[in-house]
Amino acid sequence: MGKRRNWYLTLGLVLTGLTVGFGALGLVWTPYSPTAPSAADRLAGPSLAHPFGCDHMGRDVLSRTLSGAGATLSIALAVLAIGFVVGVVIGALCGYYGGVVDALVMRVCDAVAAFPSVLLGLVVIAVIGPGKYNVILALGVLFIPSFARLTRGEFLQYRDRDFIRAARLMGVGGLRILFRHILPNAWPVLLSGLSIGFNNAVLAEASMSYLGIGVIPPDTSLGRMVSEAQSYFVTAPWLVLFPALVMILMILGAGLVGEGVRERMGEG
Amino acid sequence: MAEPILDIQGLDSWYGRGRARRQVLRQVCLTVEPGQAVGLVGESGSGKTTLAKCVLGLVRDWQGQLLVNSPRPQMVFQDPHGALNPARTVGWFLEEALRAAGVGDRAARRARGEEMLGQVGLGREHYDRKPAQLSGGQRQRVSIAAALIQGSKLIVLDEPVSALDVTLQAQILRLLAQLRERYGLSYLLISHDLAVVRQLCGWVCVMYQGQIVEQGPAEQLYERPQHPYTKKLLAASLALE
Repeated sequence: MGKRRNWYLTLGLVLTGLTVGFGALGLVWTPYSPTAPSAADRLAGPSLAHPFGCDHMGRDVLSRTLSGAGATLSIALAVLAIGFVVGVVIGALCGYYGGVVDALVMRVCDAVAAFPSVLLGLVVIAVIGPGKYNVILALGVLFIPSFARLTRGEFLQYRDRDFIRAARLMGVGGLRILFRHILPNAWPVLLSGLSIGFNNAVLAEASMSYLGIGVIPPDTSLGRMVSEAQSYFVTAPWLVLFPALVMILMILGAGLVGEGVRERMGEG
Repeated sequence: MAEPILDIQGLDSWYGRGRARRQVLRQVCLTVEPGQAVGLVGESGSGKTTLAKCVLGLVRDWQGQLLVNSPRPQMVFQDPHGALNPARTVGWFLEEALRAAGVGDRAARRARGEEMLGQVGLGREHYDRKPAQLSGGQRQRVSIAAALIQGSKLIVLDEPVSALDVTLQAQILRLLAQLRERYGLSYLLISHDLAVVRQLCGWVCVMYQGQIVEQGPAEQLYERPQHPYTKKLLAASLALE
């Protein structure tokens, strides 16, 4: 079969692989300590010793970008894991069984989704306090409605199909129908939802860190680095350039993967 | 005489809830003997599908007597494109029926699945294919295999060939007739196509507005219809031929 090459997917996977690899590396190894200051290297420009330059405290920007990307990545993935797993379970149950509970749950989701997630995240953080794990929890919960809604739509569409009726007649149990019969059909849509969700999670973490909640200094994340670099935007642009670039490539990669999955699904 | 495999006496059934609830079946009486194929004809909305759903347990809002004397009656659907899970292989779907029936051994499931596929005229090479890789006729064969694999004795056929072209129709009807003989199956065939019913069924029921207005041996019903609606139905189908 002469299948047209799926450039979105290829390019997206390459970019995602690179940025995820970059972040994963940052979790285990950095050339210098990302938090150790050095007065001599204060605001040093890119050089062989410090390819990304140094920040206002003389810390190596490459090391900080690595560890920041790692933090951003792990927060985004943890947020997605919470939002996706809980959202899919809720959406599947609501879509398949329907009824009063479905109507109630969906109204709650509407209410949550009606607020900007960063704003709601701020409220939650104000109540339970800042910190990496609280941000994960807050954003994770806020990501549930979008996945629940997406999943519900898919399951609603399949619930009255003949092959599901056939499975019911065979005596297949409800949960098995949900997760073994319907879920495989919903995967393509959920995967592309996952890529959008990943982008939103990266951006939400960045926004919250930018606003000064989330990762607590001297630890860093891409959003916090951009936030700290804004006063040196003119004098030392490398401070904002590299973390922002990594973030953009990360988001671009996931977005392209999502687009690629959608395209492949359209063909299949 | 053996006990009937399906015994329906004075069955009423309703559709919808509350104020919108309306009666769709009125005092339906119908028996299906083991190995018998009964045809259910009538226009859309006459209640034939509702009757089938009552038999299958998909409609619960009914009163009267309804005795099913077979393990899990199964259904063969009209649309061969919708009846198979697009994300799963043929073999998985067949084996799923066996898993649900409690066949624990994997090798036994596979052997039984392949055997059943052979019974409906498909080969081992179809076992690991997805529905999208099969033709309409092949898909309908797979759903027939899935309906039979649990060992049900009563199969509801809901317009099983109306989505297929004429040559395929003849093939599938022949297959259904063979399988009935081989496994001693009973069929409840729903169709608006009198020619299809005549090929497969010895006994025909005519439904009109939720009631069975006439039933009898196929020959007699086709040669000497009694009820005016049956006459109309026959005249309409003759006009088409």
